[in-house]
Amino acid sequence: MGLEIENVGVRFGSFEALRSVNLTVDDGAFVTLLGPSGCGKTTLLNVIAGFLKPTSGTVRMDGMDISDTRPEARDTAMCFQSYALFPHLSVRENVAFGPRQKKVPKNEIVQRVSKLLDQMGLDIHAEKLPNALSGGQQQRVALARALAVAPGIVLFDEPLSNLDAKLRDQVRTEIRALQREVGFTAVYVTHDQAEALAMSDEVFLLNKGVVEQSGAPREIYFRPRTSFVADFIGAANLHVGKIKDGAMATPFGPLGVRGADALNKTVCWRPEVVRLGGDLQGAVTASAFQGGHLDLFVSAGDQTVRLQVPGSHEFDVGDEVSFGLDPENVVVLADEGHVDA
Amino acid sequence: MPRYLRIVLLLTPGLGLVVVMMSMVIYRAVAQSFGLYNFGGEDILSLAHWQEMFDNRRYWSALRWSGYIATTSALLSVALAYPLALWLRRPFFGSTILSAMIKAPYFVPGLVAAFLLINVISFHGFVNEFMIWIGLWDKPVRMQNDENGYAIIGLQVWKQLPLAFLLLLGSIQSIPDSVLHAAQDLGAGTLARFRRVVLPLTMKAMQAALVLIFIGAAGDFSFQAIAGPARKNSMATLMTQLQGSNYSDWNGAAVVGVTLMGLSLVGAVALAGFVQLMTKFTENVR
Ligand SMILES: Nc1ncnc2c1ncn2[C@@H]1O[C@H](COP(=O)(O)OP(=O)(O)OP(=O)(O)O)[C@@H](O)[C@H]1O
Ligand SMILES: [Mg+2]
Repeated sequence: MGLEIENVGVRFGSFEALRSVNLTVDDGAFVTLLGPSGCGKTTLLNVIAGFLKPTSGTVRMDGMDISDTRPEARDTAMCFQSYALFPHLSVRENVAFGPRQKKVPKNEIVQRVSKLLDQMGLDIHAEKLPNALSGGQQQRVALARALAVAPGIVLFDEPLSNLDAKLRDQVRTEIRALQREVGFTAVYVTHDQAEALAMSDEVFLLNKGVVEQSGAPREIYFRPRTSFVADFIGAANLHVGKIKDGAMATPFGPLGVRGADALNKTVCWRPEVVRLGGDLQGAVTASAFQGGHLDLFVSAGDQTVRLQVPGSHEFDVGDEVSFGLDPENVVVLADEGHVDA
Repeated sequence: MPRYLRIVLLLTPGLGLVVVMMSMVIYRAVAQSFGLYNFGGEDILSLAHWQEMFDNRRYWSALRWSGYIATTSALLSVALAYPLALWLRRPFFGSTILSAMIKAPYFVPGLVAAFLLINVISFHGFVNEFMIWIGLWDKPVRMQNDENGYAIIGLQVWKQLPLAFLLLLGSIQSIPDSVLHAAQDLGAGTLARFRRVVLPLTMKAMQAALVLIFIGAAGDFSFQAIAGPARKNSMATLMTQLQGSNYSDWNGAAVVGVTLMGLSLVGAVALAGFVQLMTKFTENVR
């Protein structure tokens, strides 16, 4: 089921939680809403699910305006950030709640529920009440309960935040596999950028109630449009200054840039696009061995950048290091020259 | 000292007194109904007083009447309190005043309320005078002491609704919005949400409300005496009639009293059980 959100704004009193959000999700796509805490991610999901009436704008599903459709009549299922499990029902009954409400034939409910409980590793807890489960287990029940209704759109509100790293990887893969198998459209909220990059067809980066940038993970990562995006997704190195004749002067030396001359611009590059040896230079202030690669913090003047080099290299603090960048890997950002940290 | 003994000893000064007083009263009532503690003659242990009552049509009629009034009042109060509690669950402009108005009757003595009602509905009361004055009725309509006890039930509901309202409101307010949203999201409309989420999660409070209201209404004296139908007795009015006036039948009154306690117990358990059954819809999936 396709989803279109057009100029949606939400106000709580005088506070604008969403200013003017636009996003389009194709049928069967997996998109993530990424953004810092309080930027309006849950609010947007509540608008899509119908719990919250937007102050302005329209929401369409498969081309139909559903602004006046009640939540129970929308073909969405939400996996709540706070789980919101039914405390009086066992795990199995929680998962079966939706299908029963939708009058799915009894034996199909039994099958569907058992399969989901298996997939989520909850089969041995099936008869327990929610308050007898750990946070991570409850989170998986919430997930199974949302998936059990086989909705057109599944809204995930940070569904893996309470799982340990190993389980998170596993459930993440399960969700993605299930989504491909069943074909539902997924809107997935997270503030974990690695998760967003790993899972999505498209990432929508929200900031202060607007979509700051959207695009495929690679595009967002390698071609950030603003310093906020560059900074929020991965570790970016930013420089502010004047661009003249295809270069920007930095404390490390002249940085080659593909961009028109300008007085005040921010440019950014990723730690891993660097190569050792070149016309930029600085002193190592810290290094961290990460196995496959080595993280180096290199300073010159009052600036520090982060480099990622193959793990076979060794550096000590204080060593001078020279490095270089391809100008096409240096991105000129749209915003004026200020770095907002 | 064993643990349980210490607990018993610690509880004795408070709880002990209550238990002793209560069991003394109950014991005396029961004993009196079997002919002991006889004020009017010799103490003879016998079933005669029970037998006498069982053969008395007024006894059965009062029992049925009190059962009917109590059950109807309890169910009606709860049925009206639910929507009010759901509506006033979240504060909005004016909600404090509204909920204060709903609670107010709880603080008006029952006797006063009954007299007020009579003033309104009596033959030359406010309603009749008004309807005749505006010309809708051409002669007064008899509403007082109606045969079906609507006035009593109305008074009971008016008086007891605050209790049901308070109990249910607290219970409903403890259900997080997100849980109701989750149900709605999974396709449950207003009615289904009520039946599958609100009802089971507030069942304990509803049982408490039903039981308290049933017991209160079953033992009613003042509403019956003032607003009840002339030819009917509640258990309490029957008791005073037997023991007072010219009968002086203390033993008979004791039989009615013991029956009333039994009615309260049985009715309370029956209502609570009924609710339990009703909410235990077949949610199980195997
Ligand atoms: N009912 C409400 N009344 C007033 N303000 C609200 C309400 N709900 C949310 N807000 C505000 O709207 C903003 C966005 O909230 P929201 O829950 O959507 O954030 P979020 O992006 O989901 O954050 P997180 O990552 O912490 O879950 C916050 O500043 C919050 O305080
Ligand atoms: Mg949130």
